[in-house]
Amino acid sequence: MKNRLITLSVNGRNYRLNVEVNRTLLQALRDDLKLVDVKYGCGSGECGGCSVLVEGRECINSCLTLAVEMEGRNITTIGGMMRKGELHPIQQAFIDEGAIQCGFCTPGMVMKTASILAKNPCPSEDEIRRGLEGNICRCTGYENIVRAVQTASRVMHESDIQAAGGAGP
Amino acid sequence: MSEMTYIGKSVPKVDAREKVTGQVIYAAEVHLPNMLYGKIVRCWEHSHARVTHLDLSEAAKVPGVVKVLGPGDVTRKLYNTGVLDLMVPEDMGKHLLGDIEDQRIFTDHVRHQGDAICGIIAESEEIAEQAARKVIALYEPLPVYLTAAESSQPGAFQFDERKPGNMAFQLPEQMFPNNAYGWGDVDAEMATADLIIEDTFYVPKVKQCQLEPHAYVAFYDQSGRLNCWTSTQMPKCVHNKLARLFELPISRVNLVSTTIGGGFGGRLGMVFEPETCAMAMAVPGHPVKVQSAREEDWVASESRHPGKYRLKMGFKNDGTPVAADAHFTSDAGAYFSHSSGVPFTAGSWLTGMYKYNAVRYKGDCYYTNQAPSGAFRGYGNPQTNFVLEQIVDQACLKLNIDPVEWRKRWHKQVGDDGWCIGVPYSSCSLDECLDRGAEAIGWKEKRARYATQSGTKRRGIGVSVMNHTSGAMPMLLEHTTCTVKMNEDASAVITIACSDLGQGSHTVLKQIAAETLGMPMEEIHLLVNMDAAGFDIGSHASRTTYVGGGAVLKACEDVKRQLIGRASTRLGIPVEELEIRDRHVVSKNKPRRPEGAIEDAADHLRNNVWGVGASMSIKEICNVGVYHFVNPMNGEANGIPGQIQGYASYFPSHNSPPFGACFAEVEVDIETGQVQVLELVMAHDIGRAINPKAVAGQLVGGSHQALGMALTEEIHYNAKGLCLTNSFTDYKMFGPLDMPKITTILVENPDPVAPYGLKSVGEAGPVNPVGATANAISNALGIMFTEAPITPEKILLAIAAQGLA
Repeated sequence: MKNRLITLSVNGRNYRLNVEVNRTLLQALRDDLKLVDVKYGCGSGECGGCSVLVEGRECINSCLTLAVEMEGRNITTIGGMMRKGELHPIQQAFIDEGAIQCGFCTPGMVMKTASILAKNPCPSEDEIRRGLEGNICRCTGYENIVRAVQTASRVMHESDIQAAGGAGP
Repeated sequence: MSEMTYIGKSVPKVDAREKVTGQVIYAAEVHLPNMLYGKIVRCWEHSHARVTHLDLSEAAKVPGVVKVLGPGDVTRKLYNTGVLDLMVPEDMGKHLLGDIEDQRIFTDHVRHQGDAICGIIAESEEIAEQAARKVIALYEPLPVYLTAAESSQPGAFQFDERKPGNMAFQLPEQMFPNNAYGWGDVDAEMATADLIIEDTFYVPKVKQCQLEPHAYVAFYDQSGRLNCWTSTQMPKCVHNKLARLFELPISRVNLVSTTIGGGFGGRLGMVFEPETCAMAMAVPGHPVKVQSAREEDWVASESRHPGKYRLKMGFKNDGTPVAADAHFTSDAGAYFSHSSGVPFTAGSWLTGMYKYNAVRYKGDCYYTNQAPSGAFRGYGNPQTNFVLEQIVDQACLKLNIDPVEWRKRWHKQVGDDGWCIGVPYSSCSLDECLDRGAEAIGWKEKRARYATQSGTKRRGIGVSVMNHTSGAMPMLLEHTTCTVKMNEDASAVITIACSDLGQGSHTVLKQIAAETLGMPMEEIHLLVNMDAAGFDIGSHASRTTYVGGGAVLKACEDVKRQLIGRASTRLGIPVEELEIRDRHVVSKNKPRRPEGAIEDAADHLRNNVWGVGASMSIKEICNVGVYHFVNPMNGEANGIPGQIQGYASYFPSHNSPPFGACFAEVEVDIETGQVQVLELVMAHDIGRAINPKAVAGQLVGGSHQALGMALTEEIHYNAKGLCLTNSFTDYKMFGPLDMPKITTILVENPDPVAPYGLKSVGEAGPVNPVGATANAISNALGIMFTEAPITPEKILLAIAAQGLA
């Protein structure tokens, strides 16, 4: 298998990686960079556990994305959401609304929420539910996750949205 | 009980911040120096076959492969992944219930797709996978049996010589004459019935689908200890089972309980710990990580018991349920596992629900070539709910009795025999659940409105009730040990083996500790460490808050007793005149602090404003117990020596069963067969909610699993026994858009024998939305569906065959 040298930014930090061209972004993040806050849940883009944010806006399944495709891109994982030791309003909303049970879907759900709100700061409940499709939670029945997105939407400002992924579109 | 600080408060989960920052450690995140990677090689092409030839030589040649392990390279000891053998006495388990060990780490007799045949240990996961593809296995196919009906035929291949006719379990004759339990003369009572409703139902094989795939690290270290990092929900039982399997004393097995990414019964016992530990034992000094793929979960781990469930019920014209006669024949799958558990227990929820004049329940199960059946949240209860609650509604329809009124008239009450015959119910608020639930959903009005409908979309409303348990005593062992160590600054460390599956058990255990000790939660650390903690049976049977909480309560009371005892000696006041208030031991006779003086009350006490000379701070008692100095000038000690530690080895005296009423409203499209669940109301008899938001979260989350079982979820196999639904695309769970509006109502009437009056909730959610949804569909269409899940296909076929009411 051929290798390729890539540079990418994860959570504001630049990395140079020599990766096999068929290596997934999930493998690069989890195994090579040891950013294990990104979760392996299914490996086939069905559960959303590995969701990461690209350029502060698009949420992608890192298990379905090749690492080489991310050359020069800015990626945010849940580990990059805090600012100066403070939780991001989305993170706080997940705690306050009881949206976390086992927590395994949480990293992906938070990144998906950041993407939903980056594109639409005031989504309706239906838009939130539609937006969360693709991220599976088996603990909460989604109810409190939807509430957390609504709460985050209420308290977030433009600056928070940008902070979730750096530069924005 | 006076006003409480922590009980009844929806404090955030104690691990929420770690989880929302991505910092919790699931087993897959454990990374150790010199770590190797293990791959369990499975048979994917057969569900029943003998391995006639296994050649690992090519796999061993792959660069980076450290070791290949066939069936003969690991222990050949048999084991049972389930834990029922640790919960009942041996003479009952082995001799009466017929529990057997029938699994091997690597097998040469494949009994289900995904059975493990060998293992590879390599320097990386990729190399291990590459080597796995080089394993040459030849098979002799054996006949495939997918249902009990097939495998119980005379002449069928015998799975285990100890189980003639492939019957893994039936209720034992020695305990239950005619292999049935219940009471009264069912045949005589049935003969008096004015109305008999009888049908045979099918309940599906559904999967827990916890989001975290099974992953482990095992390490046989240079000190001769076997270490295993696992997200099991039963750490102490798995600890014990691994020690037995590898013939080590328990003290030489270190089981590390990692954060659990969901369980729902899927981790109720061992899963892939035996294979992982066997690999680690083969490479001493090297940790071995096994990260299983999602597909492996579908084919090689346990699911809910599917099967045929026959129920015949007789009624008088006034609604009296004169008799119930039930027989659940389930598919055990490939191994014994929980075969004596679910088929036994499913009947408990039936006998525990209504005041039948007579009832008879038979439960049995047969080996098949499906993945093994095991524990799944509800443990037989969702199956019974689908059947019993639909039969009751059919009777109500024929007798023209309101289903809510019938249930209020005939459900069991306080003092009636509980789900475990011989243990009367200690409390029951089901009437209030039914009343408040009916009001919240608009039962009477909607029931009347939906009686006459036309058009292509038909609405219906249904109700279903349930009973469950808080811990499984006296049927199964209930025991939790807890120690509370008071540090010298009066902060506390609780050591306990209870696991937290995400339901928030560690949060509520800390709430109970903080309430009982009268101290802030922030100053309490909960230590879950299997070397340090005493016994706990594990997280099953909705027991952790009830039994674990009871252990915490008792251990904290032990601390309080010691604190008061020491203060009594120092202050010269009898213990019965002392109490703990505001982190001081004070005389009961001294005035309480006035209203509004909360913040500086402790200072007041210290200044002896409220009890001159009759108060000792807990901090002082704890500090002096540790820093026990002797004054060299006069030889006097400065207090009573000894660090304070509370202890409880707690066996609850009851199981305080909770009840619940669920109401469902649906809309059925009669052209497409599509069912939309519009609303659920779940009223739950919680006794006392320790953390109301967490309780509601259990109900709502559980309902997601119930709605799936009722409408969309089922594991399908092809004729060869190969799984057709081994992905989240093919196995349809409800998504965020499918979920209905859900209202939860917590009915709080404290149970008289429970710690703080609490009752369980963990397994309530997945149960009665099953029956309520089925009844709502039946209400909408006038057709009862006997097979779950009730898919659009089944609805259209039924409408075509029977027509609409």
